[in-house]
Amino acid sequence: MNSIILSYITFVYFASFMLYLLMMVMGKEFFGRLATFVTLAGLLGQSLAIVLRWIESYDLGIGHAPLSNLYESLIFFAWTIVFLYLLIEWRTKNRSLGAFATPLAFLAMAYASYSPTISSRIQPLVPALKSNWLIAHVLTCFFGYAAFGLAFGLSLMYLLKKREKPQGSNVFIRIIPESSILDDMSYQMVVIGFLLLTLGIITGSVWAHSAWGSYWSWDPKETWSLITWLVYAALLHSRMVRGWKGNKLAILSIIGFSCVLFTYFGVNYLAGLHSYGKS
Amino acid sequence: MTQSETGNKSNALWNLFTSVKLTLGLLIVLAVTSIFGTVIPQQEGAMELAERLSPGLVSILSSLQLFDMYHSLWFRLIIGTLALNLIICSLHRFPSALKRFQAAPKLDRSKPFEDLPPHRNFNAAGKLDEVLTLTAGVLKSKYKRIHQKESEDAIVLYAEKGRFSHLGVYLIHLSVLIVLIGSIVGSLFGFEAYVNIPEGETINKVRLRKNETVSTLPFDVRCDRFLVEFYENGAPKEYRSDLAFMEDGKVALQGALLVNHPITFEGITFYQSSYRPIAGDKVRIKLSRDGNNPGPSALELIRGNTLELPGKEGHFQVVEVAEDFRGLGPAALVSVHPHEGDKKEFWIFQNFEMIRKRFPPAMLRSPSLDPSAFKPYTFSLEGVEMKYATGLQVSRDPGVPLVWTGFFLIMIGLFVTFFTSHRSIWIRIAKTKRGLNIRVAGKANKNPVGIERELDQMTSKIKGKVEKQSPV
Repeated sequence: MNSIILSYITFVYFASFMLYLLMMVMGKEFFGRLATFVTLAGLLGQSLAIVLRWIESYDLGIGHAPLSNLYESLIFFAWTIVFLYLLIEWRTKNRSLGAFATPLAFLAMAYASYSPTISSRIQPLVPALKSNWLIAHVLTCFFGYAAFGLAFGLSLMYLLKKREKPQGSNVFIRIIPESSILDDMSYQMVVIGFLLLTLGIITGSVWAHSAWGSYWSWDPKETWSLITWLVYAALLHSRMVRGWKGNKLAILSIIGFSCVLFTYFGVNYLAGLHSYGKS
Repeated sequence: MTQSETGNKSNALWNLFTSVKLTLGLLIVLAVTSIFGTVIPQQEGAMELAERLSPGLVSILSSLQLFDMYHSLWFRLIIGTLALNLIICSLHRFPSALKRFQAAPKLDRSKPFEDLPPHRNFNAAGKLDEVLTLTAGVLKSKYKRIHQKESEDAIVLYAEKGRFSHLGVYLIHLSVLIVLIGSIVGSLFGFEAYVNIPEGETINKVRLRKNETVSTLPFDVRCDRFLVEFYENGAPKEYRSDLAFMEDGKVALQGALLVNHPITFEGITFYQSSYRPIAGDKVRIKLSRDGNNPGPSALELIRGNTLELPGKEGHFQVVEVAEDFRGLGPAALVSVHPHEGDKKEFWIFQNFEMIRKRFPPAMLRSPSLDPSAFKPYTFSLEGVEMKYATGLQVSRDPGVPLVWTGFFLIMIGLFVTFFTSHRSIWIRIAKTKRGLNIRVAGKANKNPVGIERELDQMTSKIKGKVEKQSPV
């Protein structure tokens, strides 16, 4: 039941992506308001489905938070992106990021719901995942990933905006905020992401200590999360101490998010301890 | 070499290590080199790969220590250089940060009032001390301590908060070092080992992961029982070892070891990490004479117990039981001691029929694999009772408290660095010919938008209160 709702939410997010795009292309406020409404409806529907899935797992006698495999993590990833995006939209009163955030959520949902290799069945927890750290670890990591995802979107917007020519700029580019604002927002998202990723690595480390007997094993997923952490640490230092801004930072933020994606998906093709995330 | 030259050289080195350019370079180098170890299988996994690669490539990779790169000298050297860079950078910058942290409040500065936006510079009616009390009240609602300086024609109020914000970065750097020191302490004074304990058996020796050497524990560990439970879909639900920790033959601690629930005894921690089925001590054997079909009943035999042969030619026993003898499945080593002649020892297999079909007869003619080696009897193995051996991770890491402390401090440091700022606020109330003039100014070391917002809110609050008191 919950997975049927979730597969419909995929289309809701696709619709909001299209509406945000329409708003950007036509420059009509109406589409923007509609997009916000549709996205918010999608988020509420998705939240409901996640809660239903949680309840359903208890009805099956294998109750656990729906954060235990690739399907559930993809659903949650999409949820965090949309949640954070709507929060930013509400705070900044600008909708242009929507056209870059909703496709990420749509892709995550589509991958979860329609990939033949991903099962949407509620599976019981294997012994290693039976821990109170599961929720803390997954929550912090995925909110961190989502913040980095939005920083990625903002960096793309920055690079687009920079290419704007003073004459004949089109509506799409004009709706995007000033590049200095984008730069600042992207930096703030990186800061939030960095804080959460650090907390994610720490909770994972404390958990690994009690599950595997070592707080750090150089498992590929651990190592890739460290690589991601190092890239964003370089970004923060280059901005805070060297005063880098603009293009260089946007490119670093894009590299950082590719590391996030590899930590999340790429590592599944390498051998390691984090095999629960594979299917 | 003259003294100044050495001075210059060490200066150049010092300058190199104070540079954040070096930091950026090292962070990127560390990130990029870390990738290798996630692509090339490490430690145990490397053996399999090495068999598939050409010997030349293997020797290149292993001379670069790429099969265990995270423990290699060159990788540790990169981390060490980064740590040195972090220490020197921090030492280099810390004094000026400390100065800003300790600086006396500067009340008579005029610079903050330059380029003040017009709405933060306004005139008011009323008496000076009334307006002063109101303004101080607004400031007091957000700032604890207010400094005041009076001059002939004006009063300046000053307040600040968040001085510690200057030190957040150093706390982060210090905690990274604490984590690194914790990991060094762990690798110097701790150990990581593993051990397999068959149900019912007691051990006091474990094998170190680092170099596969055997190490003796100061106590004994007995595994009373291992339990594995499965869900309906076949996925594992629970692994559990019932362990007893014994000193001088007496049980000192008893407990169930589960995944995620380690047990610590005398500073050494045990983790449930794996299990495997192994042969127990009980086997069922059938005996036939002269190739006749054996009787319907099998003998139950416990390893080590001696039984007489049916024809009283001697006695026999099962010396060894294996759950999987050389990939041929369950097997038992039978030893026959006749009253006359030499003793005979041979393996008998549970899957004997299958083995006979698969392998050439010549191979089975070896006396140690012939179930009819002692004439006129033929032995056959009907069954082996299985039990479990639990696989435990055994470790002691005195560095862990340091690592946890570092983790805790790093979060505080990050919070202080990114979410607090040192804010200073100046409010100048001046007497003019037309009444009073109020100016609100401020500065912050971080988050320029935040301080502007705060100043705006404060200005409108003061304006509101002053106007209410004595309308213009």
